[in-house]
Amino acid sequence: MIEVRGLQKRFGTVQAVRDVSFDAPDGAITALLGPNGAGKSTTFRMLSTVIEADAGEARVDGIEVREDPLAVRGRLAVLPHDAGIYARLTARENVRYFGELHGLDRGLIDQRLGALIDRLDMAEFCDRRCAGFSQGQKVKVALARALIHDPRNIILDEPTNGLDVMATRGLREIIRGLKDEGRCVLFSSHIMQEVTNLCDTLVVIDEGTVKFRGTLAEFQAQTGEEDLEEAFIALTTMATP
Amino acid sequence: MSGNAGKALIVLRKECLDNLRDRRTMISSFSIAALGPLLFVVLMSFVLNNALGESEEPLALTVTGSEHAPALMDYLRRQNTDLTETTIEDAEQAVRDGDESMVLRIPADYAERFSAGQAIALDLVYDSSNFGSSNRTFSTARGLLNQYTSTLGSLRLAMRGIDPAVVRPINVQQVDVSSPAERALMLMSTLPYLLILAVFMGGFYLAIDTTAGERENKSLESLLIQPISRPALVLGKMGATGVFGMLVLILFLTVFALSVPLIPFHKVGMRLDFGLVQAIKVFLVCLPLIVLAAGLLTLVASYAKSYKEAQTYLSLLILIPTMPVIITQFLDLDVTWWLMMIPSQSQATLVSLIIAREPLVPLHILLSAVVTLIVGVFFAWLAIRLYSKERILG
Repeated sequence: MIEVRGLQKRFGTVQAVRDVSFDAPDGAITALLGPNGAGKSTTFRMLSTVIEADAGEARVDGIEVREDPLAVRGRLAVLPHDAGIYARLTARENVRYFGELHGLDRGLIDQRLGALIDRLDMAEFCDRRCAGFSQGQKVKVALARALIHDPRNIILDEPTNGLDVMATRGLREIIRGLKDEGRCVLFSSHIMQEVTNLCDTLVVIDEGTVKFRGTLAEFQAQTGEEDLEEAFIALTTMATP
Repeated sequence: MSGNAGKALIVLRKECLDNLRDRRTMISSFSIAALGPLLFVVLMSFVLNNALGESEEPLALTVTGSEHAPALMDYLRRQNTDLTETTIEDAEQAVRDGDESMVLRIPADYAERFSAGQAIALDLVYDSSNFGSSNRTFSTARGLLNQYTSTLGSLRLAMRGIDPAVVRPINVQQVDVSSPAERALMLMSTLPYLLILAVFMGGFYLAIDTTAGERENKSLESLLIQPISRPALVLGKMGATGVFGMLVLILFLTVFALSVPLIPFHKVGMRLDFGLVQAIKVFLVCLPLIVLAAGLLTLVASYAKSYKEAQTYLSLLILIPTMPVIITQFLDLDVTWWLMMIPSQSQATLVSLIIAREPLVPLHILLSAVVTLIVGVFFAWLAIRLYSKERILG
């Protein structure tokens, strides 16, 4: 479970995040929707402890991120935006490295790795070096790497970026599977259509501020728009020239 | 604490494995280790062999028309010259083709003109583009011929009752004080310089790949999210850079130890024994410098925004540790305690002493190690601080 209250972050003169609050419960998919530069990645980075918030609170399973960042990292799987993998290592070695950093023993890593290879359909390329992998294969390696410590909370920053239709569909299935296991899934996107296919709760964010929080039905009811994409555009500054 | 050390080791192992598979890192790290000592041996052998030729080896000279000048031939033979008489027609072509390195041509009218007291034209055919032997043998041969001419001229003047000094107001004599052994010693002093360069080159690409490279690869953020403390992460990466520095140093010393017997020191009456004991001493004296190198390279490479930028910084940076070595070489300083306070200079001095088999002062070794380690730890601390800041994400 992830709880965010009044997060703020400024880089120099740019107020990247002004006021962001939302809950992402277990067993549900929560989507952070917003145009490029809305503050989605910055919010995620504060949650994943790589940058510190100026103000506000963020809790993962009740643990404040600034109070115990190492404990939070242990409970969180994060797929950063456009995450890179090590090209000279095999897919298996990439995942194993992160497993070891989580302090897992070799036996447990191999057992979980076996399960992840099945689940993410990686058998064909798991023992090849990653140089020259397709975007879809890279995302799978990065996802397996993020999931190796079997965390309850999963953050995916624009995971479908650069994926083709089939790969996107495959990833969607994987995300649904994670939710069905009772995990808390939080992902970001700038594409409305992707969100409608997947999420239980929607958080629309723009210029570092939350513009809407609720279910898709509530979103439709509030905006009164038939076309969800139109509603999304109307809600954000993208509509104003 | 053991958890942190364990995780630093995980990072170290991964970075080593990753870079062992990188051809660029391997070539840049290990080529200097293998080629440095070999280059040294080749240069050294060249200097010593050349020096040897000047003093002892007879001058090989091919002569056409030798029958016309028997007195000159006798003179040349007395001057340690190995004469080969030949009858080839086209001396120029023979030299050009490389069949002969130098030909002295004596004209058929030599004896006639000699008796008449007329000037005689002798041709010395050689190829100045043939580097090495030819230029040296040419100047030797010309020297001998000039000497013969002036002796002859002096005799003729004396016969006419004139002091030969009248036509030779100035007599230039060359006094070269450098002996082959001294030239060899000067070359020897470049060895510590090569060694220190090798220590820094060993971790050069590794330091870039693990820091600026990781950021450019966009895997840094994922790594920073893992439950490993920043000090452990940075020390793991630095450790990998240090391991490569050590491997390169070991390879350098091995190649050097194996190739030293190939250098013909005995020809100038010198001896250089570089065995296992010396190699181990040099390795131990250089260990603190490896720590410093790893710290400095990691720090600067982390500061750079991209792989390219890091490459530029480090190429300039690598000149700094070799600077004191070059400067003090000209100053000809005594080995004192304050020289041991300068990292890289202290190691270079100690290495020179070890190679020369001169006694080391324990205090000097201690000072060198402690000061270098303190500076190294300071660089490591700065790198850790840098990794604890948000701007490390770029």
